[in-house]
Amino acid sequence: MSQFPSQQDQPRPSPPPMPEQGGSRTANLAPAVSGAPVVKQTERPHPLTPFIRGWLVLVAIVIGFGRDWLPNGSNEPRMSVSDLQWVLPLIAVIVVVAAVVGFVSWYFTRFVIDDEELRIETGALFKNSKRVPFERLQSIDVIQPFAARMFGLAELRLEVGAGNSTIKLRYLARSNAAQLRDYLLARAHGEQASRSHIGPASSVMTDLSSAERPLVTVSAKRLVAAFVLSTEWLVTMGIAVLAIGISAQQQVVGYALPGLIPLLIGGVTMIGRRVVSMFHFTLAQSPRGLRVTRGLTNLTSQSVPVDRIQGIKISQPLLWRPFGWHRVDVDILGYGTSAGENNESDATSVLLPVATADQVQLALDEVMPQVDLNAVPMHRSPSRARWFNWFTAQTLRYGWDPSVLITEHGLLTRVRNIVPHAKTQSVRIEQGPLQRRLRLADVHVDTPKGPVNAVARELDEAAARELALSQLDRARAARGLDRERLAQRRSPQPAPDRRQADELADREALARFGIDESAFLGSGSESRVFALDENLVLRLYRSRHEGPAEVAAQLRGLYDFWNGADPGFEVPRIVDTGEVAGRMYTMDRRLSGRNFSGWLPEAAEDERRSALRSYLRVAMSISRLPSPVAGFARLVGEGAPQQFGSLAELLSAQLQRVIGASRDRLEADLPDVAEIWTQWHRDIAGRASSPYLVHGDLCPANALCSRGPDGTPVVTGVLDFSPHTLAADPLMDVTGAICFLELESYPEAAADAAWLTEQAVAELGEDIRHWIGVYRRFYAFYFSSAHHFDEHLYAWCLRQLRPSPVFEPSS
Amino acid sequence: MDELFAPPTYAWNRLSPKYRTLRRLTSLLVAPILFSVPAIVVGLVSGEWWISAILWGIAAVIAVSRLLLVDRNWRSWGYVEREDDLYITHGVLFRTLVAVPYGRMQLVEVESGPLERAFGLASVTLHTASASTDATIPGLTPDEAARLRDRLTELGEAQASGL
Repeated sequence: MSQFPSQQDQPRPSPPPMPEQGGSRTANLAPAVSGAPVVKQTERPHPLTPFIRGWLVLVAIVIGFGRDWLPNGSNEPRMSVSDLQWVLPLIAVIVVVAAVVGFVSWYFTRFVIDDEELRIETGALFKNSKRVPFERLQSIDVIQPFAARMFGLAELRLEVGAGNSTIKLRYLARSNAAQLRDYLLARAHGEQASRSHIGPASSVMTDLSSAERPLVTVSAKRLVAAFVLSTEWLVTMGIAVLAIGISAQQQVVGYALPGLIPLLIGGVTMIGRRVVSMFHFTLAQSPRGLRVTRGLTNLTSQSVPVDRIQGIKISQPLLWRPFGWHRVDVDILGYGTSAGENNESDATSVLLPVATADQVQLALDEVMPQVDLNAVPMHRSPSRARWFNWFTAQTLRYGWDPSVLITEHGLLTRVRNIVPHAKTQSVRIEQGPLQRRLRLADVHVDTPKGPVNAVARELDEAAARELALSQLDRARAARGLDRERLAQRRSPQPAPDRRQADELADREALARFGIDESAFLGSGSESRVFALDENLVLRLYRSRHEGPAEVAAQLRGLYDFWNGADPGFEVPRIVDTGEVAGRMYTMDRRLSGRNFSGWLPEAAEDERRSALRSYLRVAMSISRLPSPVAGFARLVGEGAPQQFGSLAELLSAQLQRVIGASRDRLEADLPDVAEIWTQWHRDIAGRASSPYLVHGDLCPANALCSRGPDGTPVVTGVLDFSPHTLAADPLMDVTGAICFLELESYPEAAADAAWLTEQAVAELGEDIRHWIGVYRRFYAFYFSSAHHFDEHLYAWCLRQLRPSPVFEPSS
Repeated sequence: MDELFAPPTYAWNRLSPKYRTLRRLTSLLVAPILFSVPAIVVGLVSGEWWISAILWGIAAVIAVSRLLLVDRNWRSWGYVEREDDLYITHGVLFRTLVAVPYGRMQLVEVESGPLERAFGLASVTLHTASASTDATIPGLTPDEAARLRDRLTELGEAQASGL
């Protein structure tokens, strides 16, 4: 049977040995994964894909030929109507060929996006398989060309970073694309989200999008005004007007017009790029980064994890200055290499096409919250720089603070480049022969290809050297910090010293809801609960990491699933979820009654006993709540729902998840713990039970009691379903109810628990006494990590595990 | 080598002298060969060989002037491995000093063309996510190139940080 630390000759079948202390989370998860289905589910893009691509080809052809019918300066149109008799069949043939090619390419395109990998396979003759590590994802865009949009389809475009490695999945159903986007974004952030969780429980989807908060929207009026005032447009129009004016004066307009046509096309393209594709521009804050949505005909939605932004460029053309408008571009790996701005449906690097200083600040607060650009001390280039920059020398400035480097230049269009130190790719000092005469040099801070080009121009040699070398030091320090942050995000345990910061954040969050600590009702392992009013409570999750978001969404789904079920007591409902002051919160229905744990010490013995009887009844009737998945399963938490073949496998996996933290301590305190562990596995393998819903942490603190119509106190509600919640043996909650009552601090608790055991035995039969003992040991292993924070609980765990008369206290 | 482009506290590693020889050879040969083609064609077609002579003359001037610059150019190159970054400097008229943090390296490339191979030379290029990082060290002995490649990869791995 199972070996506690290590021992040879394991007979099969055996529960997995306890993992090493150092064993990472993956090691803990490994046995759990084996319970999941192994066969990979590959998916294909939507079957309408070939038609839409055929349609796009048709449009392209029509535009191509159509252009030839336009008058283009020569007196004769190049094509006449008689040409149609061969043009039309030709078009038909091209369209059919395109459709066939489209179909073949669709048929051979498959992709896998699951918990382990992201893989795309394409190609009929030349097979191509791309597998992308989730951490390498730079940005994820959902693009809907007009034709696809009509059919509710969308293209999913993934930027993977270096080179020309954009991955395009076209086309998917819009909801599917959005769901994959959310899942991939979560994974790109290094979270261990599970697609099955984000997937079919559709409410989760809506949660995520409702959690989106628009930061800036650009009105059509401003978009057009800004465009008309932009330098590019003015220059183009100026040239056009000049050309027409001169030619009119020379009376050669007819000859000059053809020459103007390219200009005209350029102008139209510019309108398309700067107005049509930027229409309805909205920058929104989503739980996992920024989201840009825009477009009039072609809808584009770009999602960028904030920490993938490599640099920021803020620019201001001359004529925008009176209005205080700015444009903000960002460097994202991959965007710079795609053909970019020419195709209006393409991803572009625009973060804000035109925005006021306040809006820019709002966006910057999201991208780099720790930076106050105006507080960064700026240095000027020496005045001898004017030898090379006659007019702009005064505008050349550079500066840095602990997190970013800033360079500024430009008179007509003011440009400000901002590079986070951590994103510095390399640093260069360059100096030409003339610069050497004047002892000037440029310092380049290299970023990936894109609009940002941070160069501190014309510095004094000494300053240049100082800037370059110190920039390398800052970059190194920032990279170190980044690594730490990443490591922290990957390990969900909040560091102890963060508790204080959490309390501050709590206070801020409460203030937003207009309440304070006095509304405190109680706390669970992951959250604290406050009264909002008579009907609602606010549940504030503790840490900033995204785990709670997943748990809250799962719980919401679970509670919604129970809507209508009547177990004979009240269960919570989540009314709203969101984030405030960087904290996850949920707004729950407030259940009636008072906390059972608080009531017990005050009650007289006969009232207490009568209430405990109903407490036991509630423990037994939790199994009446339906489980959303079939079989034994974990229902809440990372990777849930996760199904298991048997009760023993499920419980063993549950223990594997936690035992690593207490293994050493248990071994020290109980020399024969390996024996007990093995024995427990042997015992549980013998338990026959069907899967029912199990609360997993049913203690007096999680129960609510009130007086019934006849004045007798009864337990009327159960709170705090949590990652302990399972589909397993209902006897677990009965045992839990007894064990946790035993742990209550009022003097008669132990006696009450012993009495309650007898009640349970009387109700369920003598043989459950044995199983209560088995589950006591389960809870003892399960909560043994309490030695970190609750010695009382840990001592209780030890008592359960010691093979002594205390083992079954009722006997 | 002046102050601005000196590496902090370290001395530059220089390129292999064979690289200078190679550059001398190419300087001597490339211009004359390139100019010979039009010169011969013009001479054969028009018979005006004085034009060809002028072309050859230009070629000779270019070859000599490049030859004279080879030494300065060769001396301008230098690289040094520091704890966290690789520094490379080069250029006579337009000078550059580039510093690439090991943690930012995406890949290290070793190249050796036929001519370089004949001279027992190879070049090492560092790539980062930025296309403007221009970090190539030419004219290394194959041993040194391999050593540099292994060392850089090792350091890059140890200090790698996400994009």
